[in-house]
Amino acid sequence: MEMFTAIGLNHFLTISAILFSLGMFAVMTRKNAIVILMGVELILNAANINFLTFSKYNGGMEGVMFSLFVIVLAAAEAAVALAIVINIFKTFKTVDVSSVDTMKE
Amino acid sequence: MMHSLIQLSIVVLLLPLLSFVVLIFFNRRLPRMGDFVGVGMLGTAFAISLYIFWNVVVQHYDPAFRVAWDFTWLDFGNVPGVGPLQVKMGIVIDNMTAIMLAMVTLISLLVHVYSTGYMQGDPKYGRFFAYLGIFTFSMLGIVLSDNLFSIYMFWELVGLSSYLLIGFYFYKDSAADAQKKAFLTNRVGDIGMWLGILILYSQFHTFGYQEIFENIAAGKFNMSNAWLTAAGILLFMGCVGKSAQFPLHVWLPDAMEGPTPVSALIHAATMVAAGVYFVGRIFVILTPDALHFIAFIGAVTAFMSATIAITQHDIKRVLAYSTVSQLGYMVMGLGVGAYSAALFHLLTHAFFKACLFLGSGAIIHAMHHEQDMRWMGGLRKQMPWTFATFSIATLALAGLPLTSGFMSKDAILAGALGFASVEGGGIYYIIPVLGFASAAMTAFYMGRQVWLVFFGESRTHLKPAEEHHDDHAHDAHGHDDHGHDDHGSHHGVHEVAWNMRLPLVILATLSTFVVFSPDPLDGAKGWFMHLVPTPSTVIKSEAPKEAVAAVGGKLLAEASTDAAHPAATEAGAEAHGEAAGGHGPVFSDPRQAEIAHATHANHYTAIYLSSGMLVIGIGLALIVYAFGVIDPNRTAQAIRPLYLFSFNKWYWDEIYDATLIKGSMLISRMLAWFDSNIVDGIVNGVATIFRKIAFGMGNVDKYVVDGAVNFTAFFVQTSGAVMRKIQTGKVQTYLVMVMVAVLTYFAVYFVQLMK
Repeated sequence: MEMFTAIGLNHFLTISAILFSLGMFAVMTRKNAIVILMGVELILNAANINFLTFSKYNGGMEGVMFSLFVIVLAAAEAAVALAIVINIFKTFKTVDVSSVDTMKE
Repeated sequence: MMHSLIQLSIVVLLLPLLSFVVLIFFNRRLPRMGDFVGVGMLGTAFAISLYIFWNVVVQHYDPAFRVAWDFTWLDFGNVPGVGPLQVKMGIVIDNMTAIMLAMVTLISLLVHVYSTGYMQGDPKYGRFFAYLGIFTFSMLGIVLSDNLFSIYMFWELVGLSSYLLIGFYFYKDSAADAQKKAFLTNRVGDIGMWLGILILYSQFHTFGYQEIFENIAAGKFNMSNAWLTAAGILLFMGCVGKSAQFPLHVWLPDAMEGPTPVSALIHAATMVAAGVYFVGRIFVILTPDALHFIAFIGAVTAFMSATIAITQHDIKRVLAYSTVSQLGYMVMGLGVGAYSAALFHLLTHAFFKACLFLGSGAIIHAMHHEQDMRWMGGLRKQMPWTFATFSIATLALAGLPLTSGFMSKDAILAGALGFASVEGGGIYYIIPVLGFASAAMTAFYMGRQVWLVFFGESRTHLKPAEEHHDDHAHDAHGHDDHGHDDHGSHHGVHEVAWNMRLPLVILATLSTFVVFSPDPLDGAKGWFMHLVPTPSTVIKSEAPKEAVAAVGGKLLAEASTDAAHPAATEAGAEAHGEAAGGHGPVFSDPRQAEIAHATHANHYTAIYLSSGMLVIGIGLALIVYAFGVIDPNRTAQAIRPLYLFSFNKWYWDEIYDATLIKGSMLISRMLAWFDSNIVDGIVNGVATIFRKIAFGMGNVDKYVVDGAVNFTAFFVQTSGAVMRKIQTGKVQTYLVMVMVAVLTYFAVYFVQLMK
């Protein structure tokens, strides 16, 4: 049962997949814009885990560098997205994305 | 270098034009509406003309005197198919020109002076003088022209002035109709004249008289002589229209609707004589056939109008028909080859007929626009000056010895007799017979006129009252403001003022024999016949026939009537040359020489016969009107058909109305029908066809082209409507779609991986 005793590549990827799925689920199902943003953060972190995992098992530093970029990007994205959400709230008095559908038709 | 006479003649020509321009624009702003401008300009022009007359006629006294000057007016270069096309303008001064110049300016000046009295108070007083100015300009242009083109231009200009002046009282329907009639009738003649000019131009490529004469004399006329005859007759057509010859004479009597000074100037003395003057200018190129034609037309005109003049009541109409008759004399004179006599008659007639018209104007003026001789009478005492001058002019017209008219008329009649005896045939005696008959009738109707107007008792009160409404035009004239003091009394008749008397006296003086010839019985001894001799014809009487015969002889049949006596006449010509003793020129053409000889031989016969005719005519007039032996009304009843025939002017107006006018109306209606039914039908049919085609094309457009476009739009719209449903506007929906797509891709990928 080496599979359970030694933590290997598959474990990391599984965690990453689970994390991605949760993030995806949150983005697709939640109606609160804040929660959707949180889902996006999960997806980004799942991607980060993948980068770091492949970096570790490939023996290079590219994945590390990429994940640092992603973190910085995520911070910027969170700032911009929150600003958008605040503006949506100011406009529509709600952060419910299902009711923000003025582009329809 | 321009001859000084040419320079002066240009000044004479342009002065009346200047008068026209000044008066037509400024007559209302000038004092007295500018009549002094017209009179002054004409006075100056007359003074210069008199100098030219003095210089040419008195100082040179040479039958061959001639100065000419021309310049190229229009140069079209080498026109394809025509050759070099140049139109020249020029002036020629010979004896005839100098005489005409003085005559026209003198009469025009006198008429200007006269009009200051006659037209006084007319609202268009100034414009009247302007029109007289342009008329005088055009008439002088005709006189001075040295080529056919410019004479044609001035010819039309006098037609225009005549039109304007006949219709001077255009608010009267009769005047408006008369002016149209005159203009249209003249067009008929002018078309012929233009065709004649073109025939000559097509041969010689020049309009100049002198070049044309020289070319014909040199035998350069390449067509048959029939064409030359045609050209002569066509040119004569212009004279037929302008000089009111049969059958285009109908306009002149109607032209008396114009003011009386105009009748005197234009329709008696100058313009109508322009036709005669023109035929005189082209006299040398007229073939014997053309001359015969001209002679017959002239004789018929003279006779016909004399018969009509006998029965007319209107004082001016009698004179108008008398004018037509005298013009007929002149044309007849030209036709029989008595060129100098005809032009002499033109000159003498101008003076005495102007005098008669101005005299009748004075009468009409004094009678408050009464023109009907039936209601005149007894004017001898009230108007002694008018009576005296009118009588002198009447005697000149009738041809009493000691007057100018006697000499010129006698010369024409002698020419007619000579012509008839040379031509030999009985039919040619018709011409002198008609001439003498007209002479008798002239004496008769003039005697009648003088008696009715001046003698007896006044018949003004006999005028039927209901005819007074005809006079309404009189008030409209604005003639109410007469120069007389007798305005209040309608029947008061007084002698006219000095400015209307003076022209009468001058013209009457010029109607006596002393002005023209020392011998009262023979005008040929006078200066006129010496200075304006009959020119030798440039038509070769035999040469063309030989040429034609040499070409093939097929046209021999065309050889004209005088083929029979070429040889015999040579002897006659020589005999004449000896016998005449410097009496006129010696002709190279045998026919002309023979006629000249015969004319001379018939001189005294003509004198006796015409004096006899005069006695008969005046005697008859005295018997009928003075002594009352024969009652004119009863005679008229006795020969009623003849009387009506004459009174209704030989029914020419009715004949023209029934034939030409109705005919052209009928043709017009037929053409209008053709136009509206056939031509319009074709046009409308074509239009209908195109309309149908256009509808078809429209349907193709609407259903095929538009269908394609609309279908595209419809398709896009429908598919867009379907697609729109997918666009929920919710980001999550799109995300689900992306997920589904990715998962589907994976599924397919895995399925393929399994295989």
